[in-house]
Amino acid sequence: MKPSFVSRVPWEILGITITTLFMLACAVSWAVESFAQWGSLLGILSCVASIGSISIVWWKQRTAMSRLHRQTDILAHLSDEQIETDDFENLFPELPTSGEWSSTFQRIFNRIAELSEMMSDAEQVRARSEVRAHLSSMRVNQMREIVDSLTEPVLMVNQFEELVISNDSAKKLFGLPTDDESQHMKDVIPCEPLVQLIHETRRRKTSSQRVAEIELVDSEEEKHWFQVTCCTVDQKSNSSRADDHHMFGAVAILRDISGYKAIQKRNAEFVSSVSHEMKTPLAGIKAYVELLADGEAEDEETQEEFLSIINGQADRLQRLIDNLLNLARIEAGVVNVNKKPRSLNELLEEAANLVLPTAEQKQITLIQDLSPMYLGVLVDRDMILQGAINLLSNALKYTPDGGRVTLRSRLNDREVIFEVEDTGVGLSDEDCEMVFEKFYRVKKDQNMASGTGLGLPLAKHIVEDVHGGSLTVTSTVGKGSTFRITLPTVQVTESAVQ
Amino acid sequence: MSHRVLLCDDEMHILRAAEFKLKKTGFDVQCEPDGQAAWEAICEQKPDILVTDYHMPRLDGLGLCRKIRECEATSDLPIIMLTAKGFEFTSDDNLDALDIAAMLGKPFSPRGLAKCIEEILETGSYTAPPISLLR
Repeated sequence: MKPSFVSRVPWEILGITITTLFMLACAVSWAVESFAQWGSLLGILSCVASIGSISIVWWKQRTAMSRLHRQTDILAHLSDEQIETDDFENLFPELPTSGEWSSTFQRIFNRIAELSEMMSDAEQVRARSEVRAHLSSMRVNQMREIVDSLTEPVLMVNQFEELVISNDSAKKLFGLPTDDESQHMKDVIPCEPLVQLIHETRRRKTSSQRVAEIELVDSEEEKHWFQVTCCTVDQKSNSSRADDHHMFGAVAILRDISGYKAIQKRNAEFVSSVSHEMKTPLAGIKAYVELLADGEAEDEETQEEFLSIINGQADRLQRLIDNLLNLARIEAGVVNVNKKPRSLNELLEEAANLVLPTAEQKQITLIQDLSPMYLGVLVDRDMILQGAINLLSNALKYTPDGGRVTLRSRLNDREVIFEVEDTGVGLSDEDCEMVFEKFYRVKKDQNMASGTGLGLPLAKHIVEDVHGGSLTVTSTVGKGSTFRITLPTVQVTESAVQ
Repeated sequence: MSHRVLLCDDEMHILRAAEFKLKKTGFDVQCEPDGQAAWEAICEQKPDILVTDYHMPRLDGLGLCRKIRECEATSDLPIIMLTAKGFEFTSDDNLDALDIAAMLGKPFSPRGLAKCIEEILETGSYTAPPISLLR
């Protein structure tokens, strides 16, 4: 908007000029006697003119200040949209288009626009930072939850070897306090080899990883084997000293390998047991071959005796190898099964006759308490015979001389049951659970008889996996054991097949 | 007078082979099928040397050796252990304290056994020939 004519007239200069003219005229009138009578009038007029000029100056100043207030108020209340419009003249309609105020306001407005832009940028940066911080915090929480949910115990120490992170598994394993208060690992981890491993890993000045197998006792006094993977963790970001030599913390992840160790031990014991079982007949063969080769057996009768022993021991070796292979074949599912309807009692009688010489040698009474009924089962003859022999041999091995072994059979609803009951050394509850595991041998009874720990697992495979029956054991230490086999009757098996 | 050897093993064919060779060599041999029977035989008449298996019913080889060492009358009896051992022996068995003169593995050579017995009876100790782990 253009300023009006009135506003454009320099009234203050006009007033001052008039006042000055009146004052000059007054002075002249007082100096020239002929105009002395006009002196007072001119003096009054100059006073009036000066008062008017002052009033005009005051009024203009006041108007200017008022306008300035309004403009600055507009500046102070500029909205983001108004700043972005960049239409200076519309925003400040009362401002003169030229002159000092205009350029000043223009500069202020430009500056505000610049600051506004900078503010907007800063706001975006702040928003991005907030999002990043939120994501980081969320990620930290997620990582924490992941670490806590791991079944493997995880420990982390800082450069001062203070425990800074321990997940729930680690807390449970070592009985650590649930709060996160940092404590020196030596004070809270009761396992010297683990503490030493973490210490040695952390002391390395480069990123490194070490793996060790450590046996430790948990908070419930149970022994475990752990494979510990220990890595250095750079703590640089948490330290102000960039040249610090003890910059690395360490994280240790513990994997429970107790099961693997137990299998390893059992396999080693199996190898030892099998080698022992193989060496015994082999020892016989080698000894008699040497005697024959040295010509020690001079008469024909002795030579025949030795050859017969060699043959017997070779057969024994063959049986052991067959046993091993049978178990391996059944486990691998590559055995040929030839199931036919059979009389269970006939099979049991045959098995009993085969082990009778062993029973007689130990003066053990072998009782056959077989059902008078025909007990028909659909089975592979050789396999069931093998299972029954294994159970009877086991009973004879662990029954002291002069004891009693009873072989029993009966029909029970739609299944047949046969039991091998002995008056032997018996099994503890723990041994009852383990006795069908491959290669397991009851420690305290190992010296009573030789064995590979394969007879009972083989019998269980034959009964359960091949014939769909069940093999269980009940026992009392010092009194004896009863092994019970349940098989479906031939009718049940056939109807199931149909 | 020939030396008296007590053989103890639950495997009859091992006993028969060792007995045959040792008798041929000139020893007076007595055989027992388990540790308990051997201990009773030793108490009855102390032999000059004992050859025993490790795995045996009633009383095993280690138990027999401990009994022999604990008894003053038999504590100086030379013992040869003949075993098809894998790793049955543990540090708990404390074999050094049992002062076993020789540990022979199965399969064994009857000839080697006779030589071992002769050496122990003559010198009081036995130096086993070097063996290869890879044989």
